[in-house]
Amino acid sequence: MSRISIPKREWDERLVQLLSSFDVFAPVENEFSCDYVKIEADTVPDIVYNKPKPVTPLKKFFLPVKENVTSGTAPPNPLVILGAPNCDVMALALLDEIYLDEEYTDPAYKSRRDNTTIISADCLSIEEHCHCTSYGIEPTGNEHSDLSLALVEEHLIITSHGPKGQSLLDSMDILVPESPTADLLQSMKRLQDEVLDQLKAQNRVLPDYQQTGELLSRAGDETWKHYSSNCVSCGACSAICPTCSCFLLIDKPGFEKIRQLDTCQYPGFERVAGGEDALGVLSERFKNRYMCKYVWKPEKYQHRACTGCGRCIETCIGQINKNEIFVALSK
Amino acid sequence: MGTNGNLYKPLKAELIKVIDESPLIKTFMLKPEEEFSFATGQFIEVTIDGMGEAPFTPSSSPLKKDRLEVTVMKTGYVTDHMHQMQAGEKMGIRGPFGRGYPLEKFYDKEVLILGGGCGFAPIRSLLYNLIAISDKLRKVTLCYGSKTPEDCIYKPYIEELRQTPKFEVLRSVDQPDANWTERVGVVTVLLDEVQMDIKNSVAVVCGPPVMMKFGALKLLEMGYPETDLYLSMEKNMSCGLGKCGHCMMGKYLVCKDGPVFTYDEIKDQPHIWN
Repeated sequence: MSRISIPKREWDERLVQLLSSFDVFAPVENEFSCDYVKIEADTVPDIVYNKPKPVTPLKKFFLPVKENVTSGTAPPNPLVILGAPNCDVMALALLDEIYLDEEYTDPAYKSRRDNTTIISADCLSIEEHCHCTSYGIEPTGNEHSDLSLALVEEHLIITSHGPKGQSLLDSMDILVPESPTADLLQSMKRLQDEVLDQLKAQNRVLPDYQQTGELLSRAGDETWKHYSSNCVSCGACSAICPTCSCFLLIDKPGFEKIRQLDTCQYPGFERVAGGEDALGVLSERFKNRYMCKYVWKPEKYQHRACTGCGRCIETCIGQINKNEIFVALSK
Repeated sequence: MGTNGNLYKPLKAELIKVIDESPLIKTFMLKPEEEFSFATGQFIEVTIDGMGEAPFTPSSSPLKKDRLEVTVMKTGYVTDHMHQMQAGEKMGIRGPFGRGYPLEKFYDKEVLILGGGCGFAPIRSLLYNLIAISDKLRKVTLCYGSKTPEDCIYKPYIEELRQTPKFEVLRSVDQPDANWTERVGVVTVLLDEVQMDIKNSVAVVCGPPVMMKFGALKLLEMGYPETDLYLSMEKNMSCGLGKCGHCMMGKYLVCKDGPVFTYDEIKDQPHIWN
């Protein structure tokens, strides 16, 4: 791990140069929210640093809503994603476990991962439903991103977490890479500590990730029926979730297959040809998503299947708040 | 696996023969463009071009590498199309996927196999393999049930099996006709007449969900240990790679962790019988 600091003005100049060899996506504010856009030379100054969180989860860069998985398309352009929040980066760590497993490495996913450098940005503020720390995830960058950065006092403090990030940094020809001053690091630490305090205060009553599985396992059918009563199976919670990655294969002539993101929230997800459907009832589908994230995936994978981004709460048209459910179950 | 290392690209296979097994069940003999191996109990995904894909455990001998057979009940969109296909047409196959039967655990044991309906398909593949290793087995008893005598599949094979040393076959039907001379009732009635040394046995169950449930529960009641009761699970296996999530059964992905499980492994998981 190595760390440098660079004045914001110089960083912006270097980013403009980077656009000649990479497609760069970064969060930019729009009328309603903040989301990833493809950065052009004139939009480099618009990039939002250190604010959670783009509307679109990071997974969409690696698992598009729909793609042909049989046609062997040309490798995508080298990509830089700048400004990913750490909740999303940690979600990608789980997707890597699933899609890059040694036995069945997914070719399309791997190709995109290999071609992408991820620069995460420390969250130096929080939003209403952010709760990463309750689930053991820090709002600052780590080795699951290639580089991480924080914008502090008009300087970018950039940390390299491995050869891929370092190679990108080297290619930017930063004139005089400097180590951040002690004052700058102290300012960054103060901001990071403030965020941790805010997250702690906001989620004081929320059970942590270690407890979630047990709380759900104890819940009976009536509980699931109660909490799913406002659910309309729209699937928005899964679509917006950075870790939900189930998909459907659709056949096309020529033995081609289209992969389309899917969710256990849709009726028929587990239906078999004879008509049996383990998730035919809405409350069972609703329960399935929770059990998958907090009970079953933790038994199977190392990384969290919920990273506390809070997007599912923000997006639910039935105003179902999973944090309220966990708080109620813990009482 | 698929072609050119792509997990999703099916290997083309020519349909060389279609065998009518019953009014609703046909066996499709396929000749893949490349040699294709599988272990008994593993499954493959069969693609009907442009229509869809469905999982089947081959019903042929795993010892044959140049061709394979799948036995398919007409019961949905993909299988309806399969039943209309003729010799000479092309299908696609991917796989093999998952974990099959651990045959080494059957050595020096008596093997009781309980099958119903089209669940005989994977069992036939297992039987071919068991015949090949019969010197290592004590005996093999097949209990097979179907709705009517007309629904009994693999009739010539049953006769062959009855002539094979160490192998016995018991059959039942729910609704007999005038010519039926074997047992009447659901398949579990056959378990009342089997003579097995349960302490030195393993049991295998494959069939429709309701039969799996009552078959497994009866075998447990008879004293078969949970660790020696093998179930071939049916879920909506789609990708076969442990990624798409459609076959999740609690902490297991049936396509990758199964489809063959011991009862002990899955007893605490949700929705094992539907």
